[in-house]
Amino acid sequence: MPVRTLDNSIATRLALGNGALLVVLILVTSGVFYFGTVGVLDRSMDGKIISISNRLHDTYGAQPTAELVREINNELTDGIDSDTEIFLVSSPSGQRVVGNLSTWPPADTPTGRLVNREVIRDGRPSSARLIVRPLPNGGLLYVGRDLSEQRAIRALVWHALEAAAAVSLVLVVIGAWLLRHQIERRISGIRSTAREIEAGNLDRRISISGDDEFARLGLDINRMLDRIEQLMNGVRHVSNAIAHDLRTPLGRVRARLDEALRRETTVAELTDAARTAIDGIDDLILVFNKLLQIAEAESGMRAEHMGLVDLNRIVHDMGELYDAAAEERSVRLSVGGQSAVWTHGDHDLLASAVGSLIDNAIKYAGPGASVELTARSEAQRVCILVRDNGPGVAPAELPRLTERFYRVDRARSQPGNGLGLAIVSAIAKLHGGELQLFDAGPGLCASILLPRPSASPLERAPEATTAPPPAALAHLSHR
Amino acid sequence: MRILVVEDEPDTSRYVCNGLAEAGHAVTCSANGLDGLHQALNESWDLIIVDRLLPGGVDGLSIISKLRDLGKRTPALIVSALTSTDERVRGLRHGGDDYISKPFAFAELLARVEALLRRAHPTHVTRQLQVADLTLDTGTFQVARGAIPIALQPRELRLLAYLMRNEGQVVTRTMLLEAVWDCHFDPQTNVIDVQISRLRSKVDKGFSPALIHTIRGVGYLLGERT
Repeated sequence: MPVRTLDNSIATRLALGNGALLVVLILVTSGVFYFGTVGVLDRSMDGKIISISNRLHDTYGAQPTAELVREINNELTDGIDSDTEIFLVSSPSGQRVVGNLSTWPPADTPTGRLVNREVIRDGRPSSARLIVRPLPNGGLLYVGRDLSEQRAIRALVWHALEAAAAVSLVLVVIGAWLLRHQIERRISGIRSTAREIEAGNLDRRISISGDDEFARLGLDINRMLDRIEQLMNGVRHVSNAIAHDLRTPLGRVRARLDEALRRETTVAELTDAARTAIDGIDDLILVFNKLLQIAEAESGMRAEHMGLVDLNRIVHDMGELYDAAAEERSVRLSVGGQSAVWTHGDHDLLASAVGSLIDNAIKYAGPGASVELTARSEAQRVCILVRDNGPGVAPAELPRLTERFYRVDRARSQPGNGLGLAIVSAIAKLHGGELQLFDAGPGLCASILLPRPSASPLERAPEATTAPPPAALAHLSHR
Repeated sequence: MRILVVEDEPDTSRYVCNGLAEAGHAVTCSANGLDGLHQALNESWDLIIVDRLLPGGVDGLSIISKLRDLGKRTPALIVSALTSTDERVRGLRHGGDDYISKPFAFAELLARVEALLRRAHPTHVTRQLQVADLTLDTGTFQVARGAIPIALQPRELRLLAYLMRNEGQVVTRTMLLEAVWDCHFDPQTNVIDVQISRLRSKVDKGFSPALIHTIRGVGYLLGERT
C-alpha cells in the first residue's frame, strides 16, 4: 500500500495496527512453543549426559580401567539410545581405550562442562554435545550425545513456525484489505449522499442497513438532515410570507405618502397621511420584532437568563393582565391552581408565551365563551393549559398552526399576523418542551409542556414564596 | 434640564435633540464615543442619553461604566438598535437606568426621559396620594372620589398608584407594563388600553372632572386638565 494512504486512511491504519498486533501474537506464541519443545528436549539431554558422566566417573573412576571399559561396552550395546550415545575413554597418552568415536576433540577441550564439538562416530562425522572428565589415572572420559536428531526436530519446529507465520501474514494482509474495504464501502455511501446534498438535493438520505456503528451514525445524520430540511422549508415559507405580509403594508404606506405629496393637499390631509404612515410602519416594526423574537428563541441564546420560575405565578399574573381584555369581549377568564409549579426557564419568555395563548383564546373563542387557565405538575413534566370552549380549529389545521405566518383565516380579515403560536412553539422548544394543540371538543386546548426541574426547587429558590397572587398589594409601596 | 445626547446617527440625533429642545431642555449633542465620554465626565448633566454602539472606540456602555466608576450617579438612558432582552439586561447591569430600543417613537423616549428626571429629584414619599378629589391611601388601600369610596382590584390599585405618583406626566404603555405588571416584554396587543378603560370606568365615570386622559400615540396621563 502506498505510504500516502497511511496518513489519510483511518481504515488502513486500523488494519495495519491490527496486523501488527497479530504478528506480535504469532511471535509470542511461536516463542513459547519453541522453547516449550526444543528447549525442553535440550535440557533433558543435557541432564542425561551429566548424570551418565557423573555415574561413570564416580563409580568407575577409582577402579581398574577394565571395569569402566566393560560398563561402557554395556551402555553401547544395551539398545537404549545406543544410536545416539557417545562414549570414549582415552589413555593418558591420548590413545583410545574404549568408545565409539574415531576422532574426538583434542585434549585441551575444557573439562567438566558441556560443549558442542564436531566428531567422527562409528565412521560418520557428526555434531556432538559432550562433557570431558579427567580420570584419576590421567586419562579422559568423554560422554555425549549425537545432535543430528535434535537438529532434525529443531528444523521441523522452525519449518512449522515459518509456515504458520507465512499463512498468518497472508491472513493479516487479507484481513486488513477486507477491513479497509468494508469501512470505505460504508463511508463512501455517506460521502456520496453528502455530495449529493451539497449539490442541492436536500431530500437525499443515507441508506441504513443493519444496526452497527455506521448505521447509527447514518441515523443521526439523517435526523440532522431532516431538521435542516425542515428549517430550510421554514425559511422558504418565511420568505414567501415576508413577501406578502411585509411588502404589502410597505406598498400601502408608500402609496399613501406618494398620494399625499402628489395631490394638492391641505396641511390637515398631510398630517393625516403622515399619521397613517406611522401607524403602518409601527405594525411592520411589530412583525419584525416578532420575527426577531422567534429567531432569538430558536437560536437558544437566552440560556443565561434561565432560572427557576413558578408557572402558577406566571399564569396568575398573566390572568390579571388579560382580565380586562376578556371582560371587554364578554369572555369569562378563570385561573385555576393554587400550588406552585416549578420549572427551569426564562420568566419573561414564558410569561409572553402564556400571554400570547390567552390573547388567542380571547380573540378566537368569541363573546360568551369561557377560557380556563391552569398550570399543573405531572409525573414527568409540568404544563400550562389554556382551554377555551369556542368554535375551535379543524383537526387538519392543527399541525400547521405553529408555522410562521400561517393563518386559519385565509382572508386575513381578523387582526393578527400569524406569528403568535410560532413564537410560543419556539419558546417551548427553547425550554426543551413543546407546544401541543388539540381539539377540546368544543374549543381549542393549547398546552405548553415543559420538563420538570432536576433538583428540588424549594431548596434552591427560598426567596420565591409559593403564595400565589394577589401579592400585587405588596408592590404598592414606593418603588 | 441639561441633557447630553451621544448618538452617531445624524437623523436620529437630530430627531432626539430637536424634540428634547422643544420640550424645554438644554440639549448638547455629541457624535462619537470619545467626545461623548469627555463631555459626560467633565461637565455636569441632569441626564445622559447614549447610543449603545458608537464610533471613536468608546461604546455607550463604557461611557456609563466610567461614570459609575467615578461615583457619578447621573441618570443614563441607553438607546440601541440591539433589541434582544439580553442587551437590555446588559445595559442595566452596566449602570444604565433605562433602555429603549430603536426604532422608537419620540413620545416614548420623552416619557422615559421625564420619568428618569423625576426619579432623580424625588418629591417626598407620602402615604396619602391625592389628585383633585381622588385619594389613595397606600397603607389601607382605600380609594375614594371625594367622600365616595371606590372598590378596586389589587392590580388596579397598583396601576392607579403609579399613575397618581406620575401626576401630570405622560406614561407610556411599556412603562405601565414594566411598573405595574412586571412585564419586560411587549405583549403587542391592546391589553393596557383595556385595563385603563376599565380603571377609567371605575374612577372617572360619573365624576367630574375626568382625571385619566389618553395621549394619542403615546400613552396616558392622570391629572386635572385645564
